Amino acid sequence: MSVMTSTPTVRKVSVPKTWDTRLWQFMRWSGVLLIPLAWGHILIKDVVIGVHDIDLEYVRREWATWYSFWRIYDAALLAFAFAHGMNGLRHVANDFIHNENTKRVVSWAILIGWFVISAIGATAIIGGVR
Amino acid sequence: MATLINTLWQGLWYKGGVGNWSYQFHRLAGLGTLLFLAIHIVDTAFVFFAPELYKHALEIYRHPLFMLGEIALVAGILYHGMNGLKIIVFDFWPHLWNHKNEQRANILIYVATFLAWLPAAFIMGSSLYKHSILPWLGGK
Repeated sequence: MSVMTSTPTVRKVSVPKTWDTRLWQFMRWSGVLLIPLAWGHILIKDVVIGVHDIDLEYVRREWATWYSFWRIYDAALLAFAFAHGMNGLRHVANDFIHNENTKRVVSWAILIGWFVISAIGATAIIGGVR
Repeated sequence: MATLINTLWQGLWYKGGVGNWSYQFHRLAGLGTLLFLAIHIVDTAFVFFAPELYKHALEIYRHPLFMLGEIALVAGILYHGMNGLKIIVFDFWPHLWNHKNEQRANILIYVATFLAWLPAAFIMGSSLYKHSILPWLGGK
């Protein structure tokens, strides 16, 4: 009979720096950042102020004051939240797609959708209220 | 068709238990938030592209059904954030990750989400009552 004396082995695994590795890390770091960013945004806009007190003038004033602090805040929210969400969508989609070609097409479609909507949002933040 | 249903079903319920529920809620909250966010980015961009349409977008935001949806959205964002932190902690400190801690954390997150959501839901619900339900009842 063999004796099963298992000593804990430390495995050194070198993780290749693929896009999936970077996106895995991005999901963690952006996730931590989004706790104050997204929770803060919802707390201020939905709970403290409320949609009935938000209008064009509100956005104009908010973006113009405090050295554009809230404009930068919104830009950060746009950059991190939407990329985080679209990559999450890619993860969910990949769970249900078993064909490599379909996976590639869907991933590209998500990337393009992310870019287009992010560009629309970024243009508005830079352009400001008209 | 049967294969497709089978694939979808197994994709949903591949292990069962509290952990599986947390996994489902995490995805549901994430996808729901993403759907809202995609619409929200475009309608907010109206402030630059079409200020007149922004006013119309605000009317939709103030609709009682939309306000109810926002109260649900708050629950989703709170849950997704807390559960996401759990995932990050167990990923970066794997020695903490065992079945017991995972289950404890999941239950703790359900309770914490509910407790954090309650005051927000109350305040948003009061706003809904004041702006939509009272006028509808004929009050001021």
